[in-house]
Amino acid sequence: MSVTFPSLAFFQALQVAMRAEQERFSRLGFFDTTFGVRVLGDGDARDEFVLGFEVFDCVHVASGVDGRPLDFVVEGPFASWRDMLDNIHALGAADAAHSLNTLTHFGEGLQVRYDDPDGHDKMYRFAESIQEFLDLSARVDFQYPDGSRPPVPREKVRRTSA
Amino acid sequence: MSYLSTTDFAEDPAFVERFTRTMRGDLELAWMDASREKVRCTPQNERRGLTFRDLDVGGYGFTAMPELIRQNRSFAPRGAALPPGLPDLQAEVNRKSEVWAYNVEGYYEEAMTRQWNATTDIPWAELQEIDLPEDIGKAYAQLLTFLTEVEMIATDVPAKWLGRLNADFFEVKNFIATQAMDEARHAEIFRKRALSTGWGLMRASAHNEFNLKFLRDADTFAEASLALHLQAEGMVLTLFRFSEYISPTEGDKKLFRLVMQDEARHVGYGMQHLKWVLDHFPEKRELIHHHLDEAENFVFGGGYATEVLEPFIILSGKGLKKENVQEGIRITNAFQVKQTEEYFERLAKCGMPERRERSRLWKMLELNKDALGAA
Repeated sequence: MSVTFPSLAFFQALQVAMRAEQERFSRLGFFDTTFGVRVLGDGDARDEFVLGFEVFDCVHVASGVDGRPLDFVVEGPFASWRDMLDNIHALGAADAAHSLNTLTHFGEGLQVRYDDPDGHDKMYRFAESIQEFLDLSARVDFQYPDGSRPPVPREKVRRTSA
Repeated sequence: MSYLSTTDFAEDPAFVERFTRTMRGDLELAWMDASREKVRCTPQNERRGLTFRDLDVGGYGFTAMPELIRQNRSFAPRGAALPPGLPDLQAEVNRKSEVWAYNVEGYYEEAMTRQWNATTDIPWAELQEIDLPEDIGKAYAQLLTFLTEVEMIATDVPAKWLGRLNADFFEVKNFIATQAMDEARHAEIFRKRALSTGWGLMRASAHNEFNLKFLRDADTFAEASLALHLQAEGMVLTLFRFSEYISPTEGDKKLFRLVMQDEARHVGYGMQHLKWVLDHFPEKRELIHHHLDEAENFVFGGGYATEVLEPFIILSGKGLKKENVQEGIRITNAFQVKQTEEYFERLAKCGMPERRERSRLWKMLELNKDALGAA
């Protein structure tokens, strides 16, 4: 059944997909962080989610980030999130222009909000695990609020950004 | 051989006689009589396994460890009985505050589970299929040459100190052993990638090497850790993230994500170590400032040397044409501002918010910000 991005059901689907990839995530190592996802809509509209990871698993998915202790929050307009998810869905994994680090590095597409630099650095301590978690969205059957869908998967063409 | 035994055991009648009796079944068993603390250690989290934190019990644990290690001068593992006659190995670092960090045991466990393999975890065959344009290829090979140089010394520094720490600092010794392994793997992967670009290794950097020599020759572990873990690796962490950002291929992006994970863990240790020092020995604050004054001078000379800066400009501008170079300067400037800001953010979080006002590096940052604003 199709879920909608952004929604709690979308991130719960990613959580289920991660459970199905136990061996892959175990190989990447301990993954201990709790971070927020904030999707900005028009005006003051925003959708917020908390993703909690412990040992090798996604142990907590919830709506709303207020008052929760978070290492960092990845924030951006809906269009930037859609650009990333469309790319992942089409190619099976983010290409050179759409990795989370690339999109957030100068805050051009998405921004990283944090109070504690130690918490911020967890985004990099677990960079590959977070990227592979987001890449699992290629397997999720989802649509956007206006009913449109991400591009159909195609054979991944490795590209350079040079 | 600089160390010779004072006994020739094969010719020592008492030793040979005791050995012969033991092998005939006449066991002495004195080691069994030592009064030992019996403990039960079980995993707090079965998914995580049995961790060092689970072993933090009684006299075996690290919580009860004193600031000064006066008793154990040998290789005896912390908590073992110390019979008379153990050698004094003259460990150079015997104060907990010189090495300890909040959560050092956690960083070790994380390091052990997050090891990866430079030979098999990168899509080398895929990278071989990609021909980079000459200017990009050469700039990338130069960046990789610089990073190989950096990571070799980053291997040497923890390895140099490993044997100089008192054996009671078990968790720290194990952590810096993983760091040495991490850095060796980084040197390996950068060398492999430099050669696999087809352009090979480019030019070593004198300015950079003076900075690396400063790191290697620190007088104390605390100085080495401050300059290596917190300052140099903090700046290199931002550099790895920037390198991921400007990387020409997906395979290269993965390479930089893997190395940044290790680097961020080392920075975590550095931050938690500095916090520990300032929490327990606030009187060291001024010494730390003096060391940072010198370390920042070296890092400015090394990090902003031509061999380092120009590849960044070419890679981030995606070429050598005038408009590419201008765009590259704009992006590289933004990176330098970010790198320096993050360094001062970390120091502030550790309890040194005043560092900004004292630092000449912060003044350089202000110049960069002005340049960025004018661009």
